[in-house]
Amino acid sequence: MLTPLGDMKWTGVDNYVSVFTGSTHLTAFINTAVYVGLSVLITVPMALLIAMLLYFPRLRGRGVVQVILFSTYVIPTVAIVIIWSQLYSPQYGPVDSILHLFGIASPGWLSNPNAALISLIIFNVWQMLGYYVVLLVAGLTQIPQEVYEAARLDGASAFQQAVSVTIPLLRSSLVFVILMTVVNSIQVFDPVYLLTQGGPVNSTLVLSFDIQRTAFQNGLAGEASAMAFSLLLFIALVGGTLAAASRRHT
Amino acid sequence: MVVAAVPLFPLYWLVISSLKSPQEMGAIPPTWWPTDLTFSAYGRVFEVVPFAQSFLNSALIAGVCSTSVLVTSILAGYVFAKYRFRGRDTIFWLVIGTMFLPPIVTLVPLYKLITSMGLSDSYLGVMLPWLANAFGIFLMRQFIQDIPDELIDAARVDGASEFRILLSIIVPLLKTPIITLLVFAVVYYWNNFLWPLSILQSPDKYPIVLTLSRLLSYSTSVQYQSVVMAGAIIASLPTIVLFLLAQRVFVQGIARSGVK
Repeated sequence: MLTPLGDMKWTGVDNYVSVFTGSTHLTAFINTAVYVGLSVLITVPMALLIAMLLYFPRLRGRGVVQVILFSTYVIPTVAIVIIWSQLYSPQYGPVDSILHLFGIASPGWLSNPNAALISLIIFNVWQMLGYYVVLLVAGLTQIPQEVYEAARLDGASAFQQAVSVTIPLLRSSLVFVILMTVVNSIQVFDPVYLLTQGGPVNSTLVLSFDIQRTAFQNGLAGEASAMAFSLLLFIALVGGTLAAASRRHT
Repeated sequence: MVVAAVPLFPLYWLVISSLKSPQEMGAIPPTWWPTDLTFSAYGRVFEVVPFAQSFLNSALIAGVCSTSVLVTSILAGYVFAKYRFRGRDTIFWLVIGTMFLPPIVTLVPLYKLITSMGLSDSYLGVMLPWLANAFGIFLMRQFIQDIPDELIDAARVDGASEFRILLSIIVPLLKTPIITLLVFAVVYYWNNFLWPLSILQSPDKYPIVLTLSRLLSYSTSVQYQSVVMAGAIIASLPTIVLFLLAQRVFVQGIARSGVK
């Protein structure tokens, strides 16, 4: 990692080979894919639901709620890590004490290899939800009222209106939000570095953390770069697919 | 209303934890309201790590980089919006493409580049890659495109220099994107963790987020956690205050950037 640019040796595709055959690197890839997939699946519908709940009934506190929701986005991730490490704490944290009130056993959150990744996903959803809600509410304001009038005249129920009018007309905003969620969750680093260091048992080992650790703690710049470039190709693939999907329908 | 409770609850916990005494922090199960309120945790924060210096470091980094981004984005946005030249759109889309590049991908090459310039462990080393931002250029170009060409042509006919046009006509019309970009940039640079972590080694140069993580790892005893919470609140104050001040404009600006 610390070798000057001029002294580096050419090793051909050796780095890529070790990336794809090294078991921990593949784990990082799988963990990241799961993290991204679940983040999108949980965040986007939730954001849409909340945006619709905020937009349609003409309630007065709407602006305030939006500000509160969005504020979680501006707080440094480190601070959020601090909050949630305390929340998740088995003996001193409120989450588990609430669960005990209801007689539910604690899943062990960050110390349980099966629950750790989900705990981080919950963390991510909490942090980013406000940002996407704001985007979707803005998208909702773009839909003209006449369309809803016409649907109502045709006898459509509220639910039918939501599914057949709102969602199709919100397409570009939704695609943007999905794209942003994917890009944002692929990059996840701070909570992994600060809360789990990739553990327990590599269950939260994600790509960005793996790259950083390989480069800075293991000193393997070449291998880290091979991983980074593979990630780049993967993102280009995902981005290209989403772009093609959105263009076909416009 | 229920919806607002979800983000609020953890924040509530943060605040009350920072006000509890160390003894109360160790209570099992945890108390929901401090039984003896104390601000002692806040004082301890400054004893354990160089918090004040760090705060200033963050202010320096965020301030310089945000200003630079504002300037470069307006300049570049103006060129991409109003000038015509070969390859303009190709170059623009290349710039936009970098927006989707996760910082982790460029981390290793950037590190090598900056250290080869001898800028490892320096303020300049941290700030250099951050002096311009693709999102800023994109935002400015979108808003500048909406400015009618006739306005600019009229000024040119009157003999105004390009610079004069920029300052007197374009900039005053850019209030919304300027505030949006400013808030976005300050928040981003204030909160950024990975890059300073990689390039800095001396703790006295650390921005507040790195120092906060040092604060966190100083002790894992539960009695100590109130200090960590207090530190987290102090570190988050600038971004929250800035956001609250600008929120109406900022939220509008972000929303408009997402509606294509």
